Amino acid sequence: MSPRERIEKMLDAIECSDLNAFITVDYEGARRQATEADSGEVDGRLAGIPVGIKDAISTKGLRTTCASKMLEHYVPPYDAFVIRKLREEGAVLIGKTNMDEFSMGASTETSFFGPCKNPWDLNCVPGGSSGGSAASVAANEADLALGSDTGGSIRCPASFCGVVGLKPTYGRVSRSGLVSYGNSMEQIGPIARTVKECATLFEIIAGHDPSDSTSLDIPVPRCVSSLSNDITGMKIGIPLDFFGEGVDPAVENATRDAIDVLEDLGARVAETSMPSLKYALSAYYIQAMSEASSNLARYCGIIYGHRVQKDHEWHRTFSENRASGFGKEVKRRVLLGTYALSAGYYDKYYLKALKARTLISADFHKAFQQYDALIAPTMPYVAFKIGEKIEDPLSLYKVDINTVPVNLANLPSLSIPCGRKGRLPIGMQIIGDRLKEALLFNIGWQFERNTEFNIYAK
Amino acid sequence: MITKTDVERVARLACIDLDDEDLQEFTIQFNSILEYFEALEEIKAELIKQEEHNVLRSDEVTPSLSQQEALSNAPRVDSGYFKGPRIL
Repeated sequence: MSPRERIEKMLDAIECSDLNAFITVDYEGARRQATEADSGEVDGRLAGIPVGIKDAISTKGLRTTCASKMLEHYVPPYDAFVIRKLREEGAVLIGKTNMDEFSMGASTETSFFGPCKNPWDLNCVPGGSSGGSAASVAANEADLALGSDTGGSIRCPASFCGVVGLKPTYGRVSRSGLVSYGNSMEQIGPIARTVKECATLFEIIAGHDPSDSTSLDIPVPRCVSSLSNDITGMKIGIPLDFFGEGVDPAVENATRDAIDVLEDLGARVAETSMPSLKYALSAYYIQAMSEASSNLARYCGIIYGHRVQKDHEWHRTFSENRASGFGKEVKRRVLLGTYALSAGYYDKYYLKALKARTLISADFHKAFQQYDALIAPTMPYVAFKIGEKIEDPLSLYKVDINTVPVNLANLPSLSIPCGRKGRLPIGMQIIGDRLKEALLFNIGWQFERNTEFNIYAK
Repeated sequence: MITKTDVERVARLACIDLDDEDLQEFTIQFNSILEYFEALEEIKAELIKQEEHNVLRSDEVTPSLSQQEALSNAPRVDSGYFKGPRIL
């Protein structure tokens, strides 16, 4: 099939789909880019390949809503750094994918445009916040997708939808053009059906960008060429703290069986423990909410964004714009973040969270003196039902228990399929030391190649 | 314990109007969430300062948004300016 034929087929599939994986489909742009690919004049590693883009990433001339009423009509005047990279490689940007409003959630239920659904069971959530990105890739509504991961937002939906997703080392991928939520922890990253495709997309979007002052000025690693390296003798740690209370035995068993496979392939495996992880969830939420309260202060409805009909004095106008533009979860986090940073509470919450972050980083540092990689369940359970947790925010926050530690420690982590409970996929994460993405892909590829869990890898 | 008055104060600081229903609901939820966060109180460690450095670049003029592009998403504009609400 030619790129244009494939795109038509995919656009049809999206049109008939029940998933609600896309907020905006760029029919015209996708057709134009595919026609260019058909002409043979486009070269690049992604020539003619349809890519879904999380709607938190700015695309010039294409509406970018962050799944919020606040940005319902916002059209960015510039491309994010990663979008420029995709265009240079000839990718077809098929549309903007559904997500939790401002990336705040683990279920893609808080979207202003309605919940996204899990392709393996339409009654279940696809995970979040990059739920539309993972669901579209799993259901053949895109070949590849970009997500962003502040506390698990790539790995959670990758795990729930049975696809592969990477949260890169902090600083590896430019955040320029990503709508900020918790910017000391978030990274844009790739979602794909196989480890090799995920590694290819990572190589393309990684790299230095002077317009993001936290972007690392170091060479992009070659991940694809080292996928098939032998893993004999590699040291893998099992941090027992990720297997605690609340982890479904089916998930624990699948992860342990997966580790046995790696042992059979020559890896040396041992259990370890990281006591500071008991602080991770609280530390993450305090930090993310605090950063959100400051980042989202920019949405006052004057320069862009939602604005009510009638102006009053500025404080009332801003408060009305924000009250009617933000959804409930966004308000909750902005208010809690404002509280945590307010006079008298800073030491109790924010400063303690920073200290916890130091302890957690130190525990990981210690672990990586002994092990090349750590393996743990990505999520404590498989995808839950739509509506099951949304009324109780704390229960929804606890979903992130296994994903937030690596964001606090700025580390890379790759989630890959490792089993099923009924129809629903189970994912495991391979966590590495800073900048060790190539090693994670190598382990992931060896596992994928020697097992049958990734149905797309045949 | 966080009270309705506390939530109202924070909402004012954050410039977000809350109706009575939200105020009720948030007050209850904030108490359970903040109680959960209290797990951090037992941390005795000193804050280890990460090594910080300024990232500087040379001050060069590069292309930026045109006035038209910069104004293109503004809900209200007047003679090439953003139009805001009154301050007083």
